Amino acid sequence: MKRFTLPGFGLTLGYTLVYLTLIVLIPLSALFVKTQSGGWDHFWNSITSPQVVASYKVSFGLSLVAALINGVFGVLAAWVLVRYRFPGRRFLDAIVDLPFALPTAVAGIALTTLYAPNEWIGQFFAYNQPLGAWLAPHTPVGDWLREHAWSKPYLGRVGLKIAYSQIGILIALTFIGLPFVVRTVQPVIQDLSLDVEEAAACLGATRYQTFTRVVLPGLLPAIFTGVTLAYGRAVGEYGSVVFISGGIPFQTQITPMLIISKLEDYDYTGAAGIGFVMLVASFAILLLCNGFQAWDNRRKGVA
Amino acid sequence: MAGAASTFPTVARVERPAGATAEPWLLRATLIGIVFVFFVLFLFLPLLVVFKEAFAKGLPVFLAAFQDDAARSAIKLTLLAAGIAVPLNTIFGIAAAWALTRFDFPGRPILITLIDLPLWISPVVGGLIYVLVFGAQGWFGPWFIDHGIRIIFAVPGIALATIFVTFPFVARGLIPLMQAQGTKEEEAALSLGANGWQIFWRVTLPKIKWGLLYGIILCNARAMGEFGAVTVVSGGVRGRTNTIPLHIQTLYEEYQFAAAFAVASLLCVLALLTLVIKTYAEWRAEQQLAEAARAPESLSTLNSQPSTSR
Amino acid sequence: MSIEVREITKKFSRYPALDNVSLKIETGELIALLGPSGSGKTTLLRIIAGLEFPEDNKSRVLFEGTDVTQLTAYKRHAGFVFQHYALFSHMSVFENVAFGLRVQKRHLRPSKDAIRTRVLELLDAVQLSGFEKRLPSQLSGGQRQRVAFARALAIEPQVLLLDEPFGALDTKVRKELRRWLREFQDRIKLTTLFVTHDQDEAFEVSDRVVLIDKGKVQQIGTPDEVRKNPANRFVAEFLDLPWSDPAVPAIA
Repeated sequence: MKRFTLPGFGLTLGYTLVYLTLIVLIPLSALFVKTQSGGWDHFWNSITSPQVVASYKVSFGLSLVAALINGVFGVLAAWVLVRYRFPGRRFLDAIVDLPFALPTAVAGIALTTLYAPNEWIGQFFAYNQPLGAWLAPHTPVGDWLREHAWSKPYLGRVGLKIAYSQIGILIALTFIGLPFVVRTVQPVIQDLSLDVEEAAACLGATRYQTFTRVVLPGLLPAIFTGVTLAYGRAVGEYGSVVFISGGIPFQTQITPMLIISKLEDYDYTGAAGIGFVMLVASFAILLLCNGFQAWDNRRKGVA
Repeated sequence: MAGAASTFPTVARVERPAGATAEPWLLRATLIGIVFVFFVLFLFLPLLVVFKEAFAKGLPVFLAAFQDDAARSAIKLTLLAAGIAVPLNTIFGIAAAWALTRFDFPGRPILITLIDLPLWISPVVGGLIYVLVFGAQGWFGPWFIDHGIRIIFAVPGIALATIFVTFPFVARGLIPLMQAQGTKEEEAALSLGANGWQIFWRVTLPKIKWGLLYGIILCNARAMGEFGAVTVVSGGVRGRTNTIPLHIQTLYEEYQFAAAFAVASLLCVLALLTLVIKTYAEWRAEQQLAEAARAPESLSTLNSQPSTSR
Repeated sequence: MSIEVREITKKFSRYPALDNVSLKIETGELIALLGPSGSGKTTLLRIIAGLEFPEDNKSRVLFEGTDVTQLTAYKRHAGFVFQHYALFSHMSVFENVAFGLRVQKRHLRPSKDAIRTRVLELLDAVQLSGFEKRLPSQLSGGQRQRVAFARALAIEPQVLLLDEPFGALDTKVRKELRRWLREFQDRIKLTTLFVTHDQDEAFEVSDRVVLIDKGKVQQIGTPDEVRKNPANRFVAEFLDLPWSDPAVPAIA
């Protein structure tokens, strides 16, 4: 890639920069400026009010759990898709991208219907079903579930609520994050040289030892990148989550919802404030991801 | 560059029979089973739900959902917004990919990061920033309103928000592809006397056509399906400023489930079409790379694969 | 430990990589498998190592008389050195060499001190003392290959299998390592089998040479024997020797 050998540098770079300035930079700067317009106190109050803080816990906390779930299953899926041959493999491989291509609103209503109390899967967890009743024991998990996911007592009985609870949000966030880990790890697995695994086998390592000591360390950077990507995406997600969450204040409100409600109240500064927090968080995750990749490249040498 | 959602194969894979490096049969079957169950649960069932619920009340209700005036105006609005966003973003994508992969200049990593930005920002924030610029209390809002131009709560706002959220896709599809393909052929064309446009049309474009097609299709699918950003800028007035996803939401909140899913199934089909085209395009690209690898003087750089002498 | 293979046949898609190959290697010998690309020599080596498996039911691989045909590589206890080193890139030189000792079953595993002693001994034997903490990416090609040797020897294998071990190195390093291998083998007397397409290498280092082409053994003998009496046209042409007598049957 030589500098300026090929024509078109000025034109393409110019167009790119103008486009980015108009579409990205100017609007983003409006966000920064607006957060100041109501004064510091108003800004601080809007981003630290209890309801908003509760939404941070929901958005950022559940996104992390979802990203980690995707980390585990994503690696598994990537391994299976790359290394094994079985009927339906191409189909599975193609469908991995579904959450990426499917409109979020469609995913949102589909998941809600799937897990709503009287439907499809949700019905198995309702109070009058064995599974729902069985999940009501007095264990730490049961207690957490009861606090976050129980439907209102109806006729004195309770069951596990998936839709309109944090579990539902978790499922939606896992759904949309799935492609990120799989697609990030897949190329790395594809590029693995079998030599190294054969060497480990000749040295007496079992398949399990080979995987954990030789293969997995090589995959960790990609796994980290994938999980970070899934996290960043989940934190900002709106469409897939808004339907299944139910929007219960302090329980199942995600932060983007609060931005919208502030806008509906014409509290532009408040909305800008929360938006600013989300932007900073997104930036932080983005920098974390890119910074890690740069560090990893340096550590491995340019080769 | 963060993100790897564009997975165009850039290196042909040399197949080798797995002898000592395969897991035992039973373990393999179990893992495949787990992945299958996970995928069915998370990916396949939602799809099924959409189509089943769409036809739950029968074909007439399904078709009626599209004959509704509100639905039609939603479809028109969506097509309009996508029709503005996709071509503009395509030109941007090509320009950005050309600038970033054919030249080296200071600030290149920053530019790459900027292009990825919408993927990291919540779509709601993406809509919010346009409200802050063009809304009634925004920077330029009053000026536009005084001149009788409505941006927010009208088509231009929706188009802008759509542009913002989907502009990375074409670029991200092209950048790794053009990076891997290198500049040799273009430089050869240059030495033969071709000018910039000729080089692009005759040399570059044929090589990138599948990646470009996939990027455009994905950009379009995302543009037509955008929800969060459009919710913020559109005001949600039924029949006037609803795009298809917003219309779906309206129907759903009015408990018209069959109609909501019917319209949703339309977008589902679009998404599935996107996946089909992507799979096909990848398959073609793989084939091309495999042929190149088999050629005696191949320019493809294989990584540390061992010698295949037997 | 002696190695014997009987009637090894293996096919890849359409063509046979190995066609009814039988061979016996005595304990302590240093044997070269010599032949052009695609002759089947690497496949034979990998089958002996347990990285691939023959297809014929009659095929047998025997280590000192014991049938190991059905054992996979991790049970065969054969040291293997790859052309492109196959070092574990995220582990230091020390950890690479210690790997084979660390993955042993708990009751067989040596103590940490014993492992350390052994690793340092081996690094000394390959003239890499002081390199313990380096990463493979910080080593030259010749150094990496020496680490690969040390790593394979750490598990005290009964047989050493080398797949074009010097093929990725430049000429000077190649010559040095060749010499080192010959001296090392003279000292240790470890049954060693190595694959190469370089006849100088094969003739300089080995006790006996096995010439392979198209999946069949063409000739076996000491370097002198083969040079003086090439068995057939292939051997003569491959070694650049005069060939005129078509009546001499090839050793199959």
